Amino acid sequence: MKTQQQHPPQFAVKLLRWWAKGSDIEDLIGDMDEEFAYRAENESLLKARLFYIYQTFSLIFSYAVKRRKASAAYSDYYSANTGAMIMSYVKISVRNFSKHKLFTLVNVVGLALGMSVCLLALSIAVAIYQTDEWHARKADIYQINTFIDDQYGTRTFASTFPTIADKLTADYPFVEEAVAVRSEFSPAFLVNGSSISFDGYYASRSFFEIFDFPLLQGDPGTVLRDPNSIVLTQSVAYTLFRDEDPIGKMLETAEGAFQVTGVMADPRSTHLYFDFLASASTYTQQADLTSTQQWGPFMDNYVYIRVRPNTPQASMKEALAQVASLAEEYHPDTSIELQATNLGDVVPQWNVSNNIGIGWDLPSLYFFFSIGLLILVPAIFNYTNLSIARALKRSKEIGIRKVVGAGTGQVKTQFIVETMVLTFIALLGSVLIYLPVKEQFLDMIYAAEVMDTSMGWIQLSVFLIFCLLVGWFAGLFPARFFASLNPVYTLKGQLSGQKVSVSGIKKGLFVFQFFVSLVFIIGVGAIAKQYAYVLNNNHGFNSDNVLVVPFERMDKQVAINELRAHPDVKAVTTAGQLPGVPLSNEVKVLPNTQDTLEVNQVYIGEEFVEQLGMTLVWGSATQLNESNQNEEKVLVNQSFLKSMSVFDQQSDSLQFTLADGTQCRIVGITEDFNYEPLDRLIRPLIFRQSLAQSQYALLTVNSSDIQLTMSELEDIWHTIDTNVHFEATFLDDEIEKAYSFIRAQIKIFSYLSVLAISISCLGLLGMVSYTTENRTKEIAIRKIMGATMNSLYFLLTKDFIRLIGISAMIAIPFSYLFYDKLFLYFLIRYGPGLGIQEVVVSIIFLFAVGFASIFWQTSKVASSNPSENLRYE
Amino acid sequence: MKGYLGEFEELVLLTIANLGDGAYGLALLRDINERTNRNLSLGAMHSTLTRLEEKGFITSYLGEPTNERGGRRKRYFELTDNAIVALNDMKSLRDQLWSNPKIDLSL
Repeated sequence: MKTQQQHPPQFAVKLLRWWAKGSDIEDLIGDMDEEFAYRAENESLLKARLFYIYQTFSLIFSYAVKRRKASAAYSDYYSANTGAMIMSYVKISVRNFSKHKLFTLVNVVGLALGMSVCLLALSIAVAIYQTDEWHARKADIYQINTFIDDQYGTRTFASTFPTIADKLTADYPFVEEAVAVRSEFSPAFLVNGSSISFDGYYASRSFFEIFDFPLLQGDPGTVLRDPNSIVLTQSVAYTLFRDEDPIGKMLETAEGAFQVTGVMADPRSTHLYFDFLASASTYTQQADLTSTQQWGPFMDNYVYIRVRPNTPQASMKEALAQVASLAEEYHPDTSIELQATNLGDVVPQWNVSNNIGIGWDLPSLYFFFSIGLLILVPAIFNYTNLSIARALKRSKEIGIRKVVGAGTGQVKTQFIVETMVLTFIALLGSVLIYLPVKEQFLDMIYAAEVMDTSMGWIQLSVFLIFCLLVGWFAGLFPARFFASLNPVYTLKGQLSGQKVSVSGIKKGLFVFQFFVSLVFIIGVGAIAKQYAYVLNNNHGFNSDNVLVVPFERMDKQVAINELRAHPDVKAVTTAGQLPGVPLSNEVKVLPNTQDTLEVNQVYIGEEFVEQLGMTLVWGSATQLNESNQNEEKVLVNQSFLKSMSVFDQQSDSLQFTLADGTQCRIVGITEDFNYEPLDRLIRPLIFRQSLAQSQYALLTVNSSDIQLTMSELEDIWHTIDTNVHFEATFLDDEIEKAYSFIRAQIKIFSYLSVLAISISCLGLLGMVSYTTENRTKEIAIRKIMGATMNSLYFLLTKDFIRLIGISAMIAIPFSYLFYDKLFLYFLIRYGPGLGIQEVVVSIIFLFAVGFASIFWQTSKVASSNPSENLRYE
Repeated sequence: MKGYLGEFEELVLLTIANLGDGAYGLALLRDINERTNRNLSLGAMHSTLTRLEEKGFITSYLGEPTNERGGRRKRYFELTDNAIVALNDMKSLRDQLWSNPKIDLSL
């Protein structure tokens, strides 16, 4: 051999070999080396090297190497992965899975659980990205957004000035159609004596010209033309009219009567969410707007335009800039910019306020995905750990593969293919979990019915790609591990350089898994406690045995008298709005001549305060009856007085004026209690006595057979008026309904914690089996030397106990900060917070589940016969 | 007869015939570079050899490992009958042309 300096440049050789991809180029390199040696001797070493590099490149670009590569691809010996080889890998994996059933089951279950949340997020993302894709001319439809830059900062709103719809169609020929939509129209329709509330939009007449929503009845051009026209969705039409023909029917609302001019199919796969569309001319007719008002507030007003095909973006920008400058005239010190967002990009957006309809934004999607990944990542790591734990069993197979000529790439591919097969099986399981979970989840979120999350081919292919990606990612580390095994050692039955103990990364991972599980499980405990609290806690009034009966059109005084006559009814009062549910009725109070204060008002009946057991800190409720024409007697709560004291008041602090001129005198002050649900701030509140404004009769009932009493009450009710429906519910149930959001939270957290705990325990199982498998001989020897069962258990479990302990130590302060200070504060403002009890119970639960899985594995090894273990291998 | 025989290809074939048993890649390259005063690369040389092999003018075999090449074997080339026929055709064509008494190519 020549000296070290006289070697040709190694990188050039490597490059050429890499380029040749295993084809036979021995003679070519031989030729180059020979030439190199000759030149190195007769010329300079540098020249020889440069020449060598030159020759390398000439070969790389030569036909000779290209040809050899091509023929190598069809030769018998080929180290890349062909289709046939991959099929063989799939076959081997299936055989392996059926041979190691526990391993397969643990991993399939773990990955299926882990992927289910991600599948849910993916299906919703797919549904959102496909929103409004079905409109024929979606490419030409734009939503106009408003970008505002003023003293409060910069914001983008999905809404805009409604008047620009007319402006754009009138002045710019490239705008074919424009529609102004106004949301937040929630009237109650009076049908057959009962009123039902719906949420809908005002829309101008071209709504059905721009969008392709199919009209089942009515003419798209005219349904929204006349004032007081209304188009119902199919399901609303059915709710209101059953099988009757709805066209031409009148709907009475507080905002006037509407005539049904059309019925449309229920909106689906769209960002709009409405029960009906009322003609916008109704609204503009009601409010004859001056130009200042037209360009004034734009919240909840949306404009969509349809432009001619192939309209250049530049002319659209220019038009919008011109319109925006008109708007700026009415908004001094404000920079306004109008932006056109294509229909396909309306959802999801990054940071747009005042969205219409479902309004999914990217941050919430990302948040959703990160929750999914938080569950999935531990499952992936479990797979990694468990695969490597099996290394002892599989290393011989790999050794033989390598000896007979498998390349590193092939071994890697084998394991990645194996993992992908496994994740594919897990995907099938995951879809089975995902389907019922999706139903439950969609029940809980707003406007879910317009989202089309049904299983389409796009969704399926997204799932499949996701599953293959998970497989690739999960298989990467085991693949690298197995590919790096040295066949000389593995065939002897050793794993070279493999530590028997649990390495640092795995420890960290383990702590992380248990941390996540603990945080979730404490969350379940904490929220469940809030729920129990809000249901059992006295809000500051007595809600037990109180029946709620809506009056509807019934004569109130007659009904009260008749109902009171029943022997089981102890007391009857009335209320405009039920205690314990969110209030919507606001009124303006004028504390002095300049200021106004917005407060909630509740209309109550006689004896309301006594019957519901509310505590007055001052005054008496009986004086409420003494109202006269000049002065109305009212009750207020303490925070009302607190808010009033801020203002510069008139001399008499018990007197105030409402915005409509009513003079009020405070005759009683109640404690600050939660008239609204516990998640709401206690706001200033006034109680006004009025039977006319009361909507509900509140009956305190004391009955041994409540069913009988209810039916007797119903009979009494129908003797007064047979046409009015009797619908009695318990106040407690009404209050419980107001807390349905907590039930949703409990559901979500329980599900996530079940997932996290199952996955962590599966991981624990894997870790324990990994260590015990590696220590079989050690334990056998210890037993022979006289170790007791207890000492063996301690030996095998002490590492894990320590790790669970560490994760608990991190999770407890984190949970306390997260739940007590942040999460629960926003969930239930007046709740009890996070108690020590839930934390302790959660930890005990997790420890118990953890120990059970440790014990299962360790007892197998510890109780086995040492002589057999020593003979093994 | 398949394929058209180019000038360089003819040169390579004749060189293989000249070198006899010692006709391997580098030897051919050196010989041709020397005789014709060209500066061909190894890539060009081997590409031509590969093409000739595809056209069926030459065959190749690997020799014994040699020490001076770090144990790497040489690939030796031999002419096929096709090549010999083709070279003879070429030569007779040229001879015919040269033998014309009217030719005046004196330098």
